[in-house]
Amino acid sequence: MSAVLELRGVGKTFAGVPALRDIHLAVGTSELVALIGPSGSGKSTLLRCCNRLAEPDAGDVVFEGEPVPAGGAELASVRRRMGMVFQAFNLYPHLNALENAALAPRRAAGLSHGEAETAAREALERVGLGDRTSAMPDGLSGGQQQRVAIARALALRPRILLLDEPTSALDPELVGSVLRVIRSLKEDGVAMLIATHEIAFAREAADRIAFLADGEILECGPPAEILDRPRTERLQSFLSRL
Amino acid sequence: MSEFFQTFLNPGVMAESSGLLLRGLWVTVQACLIVIPGGLFFGAGLALAQTLAPAWGARSLSWGVDLIRAFPPLVLLVLIVHGLPFLRIEPPPLLGVGIALTINTSTYYGEILRAGILSIEPTQWEAARSTGLGTAATLRHVILPQGVRNVLPDLAGNTLEAVKLTSLASVVALPDLLRMARVAQGVHFNPSPLILAAVLYLALLWPLVRLIRRMGGRAVLPA
Repeated sequence: MSAVLELRGVGKTFAGVPALRDIHLAVGTSELVALIGPSGSGKSTLLRCCNRLAEPDAGDVVFEGEPVPAGGAELASVRRRMGMVFQAFNLYPHLNALENAALAPRRAAGLSHGEAETAAREALERVGLGDRTSAMPDGLSGGQQQRVAIARALALRPRILLLDEPTSALDPELVGSVLRVIRSLKEDGVAMLIATHEIAFAREAADRIAFLADGEILECGPPAEILDRPRTERLQSFLSRL
Repeated sequence: MSEFFQTFLNPGVMAESSGLLLRGLWVTVQACLIVIPGGLFFGAGLALAQTLAPAWGARSLSWGVDLIRAFPPLVLLVLIVHGLPFLRIEPPPLLGVGIALTINTSTYYGEILRAGILSIEPTQWEAARSTGLGTAATLRHVILPQGVRNVLPDLAGNTLEAVKLTSLASVVALPDLLRMARVAQGVHFNPSPLILAAVLYLALLWPLVRLIRRMGGRAVLPA
């Protein structure tokens, strides 16, 4: 399987404190890789290093066979093809659902107004919100807002989605709707790297699970192996506390 | 009491000086049409420059802004209107006043707009950047629409101040509303034209004052 995204020895330090150490991880075409681990283990930082919202101090991030460029239009182009979904949605509160999803296709990818709206509409339909295109973010439930955020990323037709705890800010009864969307994207063959605390979801939907603790990947493998036969003490105690 | 009316609200004096005052009002309106758009334009420039400049650049800009804000606008006005001719630059009086007051008020507009930009959480920048939007597009479509809305009452308040600021122009002999009222007061030996001028300022400012009041009651956008 060819890798869409590959981290080779990525490291990151915040004010002298190592946040990521020597991360090696690849996500293949149509593959869903789940990142699990305690809060503060570096899951978010790892995702943010992929599209350089956080600048890695060491190692390489390789996207579709090319190192992710340091800045400028080349980096912007890579970011368009690497969708990101945030824990707190981060929708634009002054724009409606359609405008949220159409902004980047229009202003970053340079599509015409009509093309951008079509892309945005299709993306909203894909997350089950085709009937809420004119709703403002504060008129939507948390689950719906997160689905608009997923549509905002999808409207750019990305090669991979980076999802940073997409259900952690949601009320329990709304988690299911977002996970259903993620599952359907997997069925459509969208590659995904997702940081999550939803272990049951990771077991059932992920192709591989990586366990992160103190900025290091301690174990990585198929769900059954990671969740049922943990080798390290850290993973055993993490799973026992769930 | 009738003596009070004869002194301050003399209808005959007001009627006779109304032509003069209306001419003054027109000069005041012209000054406002220079100072308010000019102040907003250069204020936006200052705010954007301070947002985008590297740290040392932003720091020197903020020093400059603070210096101008601490400088009495009246002195700035006299310096520019009576000082520029020494450099063999002789702008028409209205333009000289316009330049001086634009310099003053643009620093206030600039600080207000900068506060608006800073009121938007960094996560909005990140969301935009993660979709490949550049700095200019992010500012224009994500940050400024929200940031400006957050400071609209302050922008309107400063506009009010800018209108009143133009009355300083009377000091350098620009025949603005206040100047004409003083002239009429001298001609008639009666202060009623000043009251009439106040009424005209009120007519000019009242819609703005009400607008601010209405906006003040509106909830500020969550970031």
